[in-house]
Amino acid sequence: MKLLLALAWKNLSRYRRRTLITAGALAAGVAVFIWLDGWLAGAERESERNIVWYESGSAKVLPRAALEDLRLLSLKEVIEEPAAVESALQAAGVSAARRAVLAGELFFGEGSLLVKVIALDPASDGRVFRLAETISAGRYLAPDEPGVLLGEWLAQDLGASVGDLVTLRARTRYGAFQTLELQVAGLLNCPNPLVNKGTAFIPLSLADQALELQGAVSELDLGFPERQQPGPRLEAVRARLAGFPGLAVVGWKELAQDYLMIARAKTAGSSLLLVLIFIIAAVGIGNTMLMAVFERVREIGMMRALGLGDGAIRLAFLLEAGGIGLLGTAAGLALGAALNFYMVRWGLNLGAMIGSMDIGYRVHTVFRSAWHPQALIGAPAFGIGASMLISLIPSSRALRLQITDCLRHK
Amino acid sequence: MNANSRRPLRPALAALLLLAAVSAGAQSAEQILKRLEDAQRFRTQEAEGTLVITDRFGSRTKTFQSYAEGEERMLLAFTNPEEKGQKILRLSGEIYLYFPEAEEILHLQGAALKESVLGSDFSYEDLTGEESLLERYEPRLLGAERIEDREHFVLELKARKRGAAFPLEKIWVDAERYVPLKAEYYALSGKLLKEMEVLEVKSVSGRFVLSRVIIRDRMKKDSSTELRLGRLRLDEALPRGIFSLERLSW
Amino acid sequence: MNLAAIAFRNIRRNSRRSLLSGTAIALSTLIIACMFSILAGISEDYRSNVTNYITGHVRLRNREYDANEQLNPLHLSVPGYAGLVEHLETLPGVLATAPRIQFATAIYRNERTYAGLGLGVDFEREGAVMQPDKAIARGLLPRMGERELALSVGLASELGVDVGQRITLFGKNKYLGLSGMTFAVTALVRFPVAGFNRSFFLLPLDTAGRFLKMPGEATEVLLLLADPRRQAQVAAEANRLLDGLGLTGVRALPAERIGNWHNLLRLMDSSYNIIALFFFILGTTVIANTTMMVIFERMREIGTVAALGMTPGEIVTLFFLESLAIAVMAALAGVALALAITAPLSRTGIDLSGPLQGVGFEVSPVIYPRISLRSTLFVFLYSVAVSALASFLPSRRAARIEPVEALRSL
Repeated sequence: MKLLLALAWKNLSRYRRRTLITAGALAAGVAVFIWLDGWLAGAERESERNIVWYESGSAKVLPRAALEDLRLLSLKEVIEEPAAVESALQAAGVSAARRAVLAGELFFGEGSLLVKVIALDPASDGRVFRLAETISAGRYLAPDEPGVLLGEWLAQDLGASVGDLVTLRARTRYGAFQTLELQVAGLLNCPNPLVNKGTAFIPLSLADQALELQGAVSELDLGFPERQQPGPRLEAVRARLAGFPGLAVVGWKELAQDYLMIARAKTAGSSLLLVLIFIIAAVGIGNTMLMAVFERVREIGMMRALGLGDGAIRLAFLLEAGGIGLLGTAAGLALGAALNFYMVRWGLNLGAMIGSMDIGYRVHTVFRSAWHPQALIGAPAFGIGASMLISLIPSSRALRLQITDCLRHK
Repeated sequence: MNANSRRPLRPALAALLLLAAVSAGAQSAEQILKRLEDAQRFRTQEAEGTLVITDRFGSRTKTFQSYAEGEERMLLAFTNPEEKGQKILRLSGEIYLYFPEAEEILHLQGAALKESVLGSDFSYEDLTGEESLLERYEPRLLGAERIEDREHFVLELKARKRGAAFPLEKIWVDAERYVPLKAEYYALSGKLLKEMEVLEVKSVSGRFVLSRVIIRDRMKKDSSTELRLGRLRLDEALPRGIFSLERLSW
Repeated sequence: MNLAAIAFRNIRRNSRRSLLSGTAIALSTLIIACMFSILAGISEDYRSNVTNYITGHVRLRNREYDANEQLNPLHLSVPGYAGLVEHLETLPGVLATAPRIQFATAIYRNERTYAGLGLGVDFEREGAVMQPDKAIARGLLPRMGERELALSVGLASELGVDVGQRITLFGKNKYLGLSGMTFAVTALVRFPVAGFNRSFFLLPLDTAGRFLKMPGEATEVLLLLADPRRQAQVAAEANRLLDGLGLTGVRALPAERIGNWHNLLRLMDSSYNIIALFFFILGTTVIANTTMMVIFERMREIGTVAALGMTPGEIVTLFFLESLAIAVMAALAGVALALAITAPLSRTGIDLSGPLQGVGFEVSPVIYPRISLRSTLFVFLYSVAVSALASFLPSRRAARIEPVEALRSL
């Protein structure tokens, strides 16, 4: 065995060019696969984040009665004692953000628009939502100020900018008409178009006072750590909140019906693409491997003539192929990971590629990939495995020939 | 003193005298409000009317025939070409809609009641109110004002409990006829939201009826609804069974 | 010396080697060509959905409609669409015209009201535009003039209504009055645009006009053109036509000027171009690898031939011709095979309704690969070019080595 390993190693360095070219094919295949896979994983994650980070959180705790019609934006059904629910949740290790959600009309200048109003607590909303990171002008809300945060597209429609005074008309929890004079503190542009176009954010303390909430809120939004499966978490939370029969816990997937329809309608186009890359890579690996080994039929003949057994010869080539595989996939892994790292960290600014988008709204254009560990392990594993397996073909072929034919080969 | 210098004093004097009479206990705010509401209570009312809805795109006119019995029953039947045959029935606090081309009668509930009627400044909810102003609001007499040569009481109405759409209202009541001249509706913040103005009062069978009323959304430009009542009959017998669901589709 | 003849003889002589490298090139070419077709299919699908459902190639609307779109202003209409459509059809390059009424309404069912978005369409004309007949999940399309409608599957399930049942619509008409009408549900429709499936329904244009008290009027007219690239010109011609007819309140816009949709399309194209880049990189490495391998494996041959008196220039030319020949044949085979595979698929489509995620937004679960002569040619030329280049450099290197050295290398 030691002899075979030594032989394999010697051969690798002897046929350096061949080794490098073959390993290069492998490296390219593995790298591109990892890169594309990361890209697609990023796309998937992006759409998920659009909802979880900006719209619904990982899950919501709502009054059961509000589930009947979630599109009805009124303060009729509320959670009376959010603090009690929060302590129960804290015991489960889940962070929560309080929000009150209602419909309103925003007045500025001569016009007005119907909007969804979300009253949040600027200090703690960040535990679950990432709105603060999407501020494109002005600043985030401060806890008690009469300020409002507008989606950029909404501000555009309204004709308002940072610093302008707008009036919000809405109905309180008990149905009384109320108006709030607010100053536009900031504008946000996040990847979620619903938020950009139709939502205004105000501080919860302000809403509590002006809209007669008396400490009640419309919902408690929960944030789960991203990589975990939401299923068991939801169950755990539900168990914790069993003492509140009037409340329901709903996961984001149930809330984002639209997303589900799109996700299902979103095809395996990506999987198809990955399969294609896979095939090209396989072709590249196989081809070079085959060629490499076929060129050495005479060598095989020589080894047989010298007395090496068939099994040993096969093993020798297997080891050599394994060596090339290791080399190639290591390089490919490094390259792919580096490329992916760049895409994850800095992403690609598609907007810069498109040029200015001067009509319509500004669309979020930086695209980032995601890490997909399965690909990082699977691709190299496949690469090594495939090379080794493929090397068996020509070596077996050669072993079936007469020794003299081998020597005469070529 | 000559006549000229005496004239500016007269309106002020009259108001002062009125106030004195009022504060001497002749009339409390509650009494004024009660008389106001009583004056608008008719056993039955039948009218032909016009609704003019104005927004920034222009005006639209609807005509209708209306019947009302007491506070609980009302039937509105549209007669203008676009909505001809449509009816709104209010019965025991519920609202029902009938459309000639619909095969069922729509019973409006919940959020649907908050919708505005015909894009006007009334909502269906406004049509269902049964409690009187006096029950829902606590009145306070602010003073008196002379407008268009008539004395008016100025009442401030504060909602007695939560749930009133307008926590604060102000009504100018004609001191002689006990009909409202003007009303202002305020949000909880004190901002003026809507304004009602009575443009014409008719005398029918010895009673005073608000025959032309306009409601304006003060937060929007050019947004108003004007109600005009034409041919009016009060406290006379109405066609039998007119306030029934069955007859709605006739 | 007839190098070409020698080249062909060499190819035939080393059939196994030629086959190996040829196969690699063919397969790479095949896969890249397929990839192009699939990506083009996805992109085209998205484009056509946006075009057929939302913007057309040119869209006519009342001048002030867009600014007030949120209010669903029916009175800001396109009057007299019947006559207008006749005139529009005379414009050169107009394939189809589709007048539509879009409106928001309430749906009454079992004492509850639901929100719905109605689209009054001319079902016959839409056969060329929206193609509702292809989207039917159950039942038959409504008949023009009748009080019938087709519900999207999402709306139907929300209402709990099926084909054959009746529902009542009521909502604001053009005169800000109320309209109510009962309809029979004749079909359930599954739109390829996922967002439509939640709350849209289709009904006959003339019935919608009656319901909304705007007979003969539409909220928009979509034009489909034979050559979409002429949309700006056609829009200008349409505007001249409108002016001539005295309809100065109605304006035509080319799709590329309809705000956000255009931007999103460009964004999507960018991301697909990047994905195509991945394939090209991989394909290039495979082809180059293969070709280089072949050259380096034949060092001894080069040495022999050089020793026999062939000049370096001739050697390079010889090997170059060989590689070129193989490349051309292989690329041709690859492209031909790709066409053979995608041609039938472009008719039947690739059904990928499995629960897998992918890229893109309004994409249907069935992908129809698109064959384009231009990209086919491009892929062919690319493969040949890469092979040629990949053979050129190493063979030059090899030719410059001393024959003795070349002979020595095994």
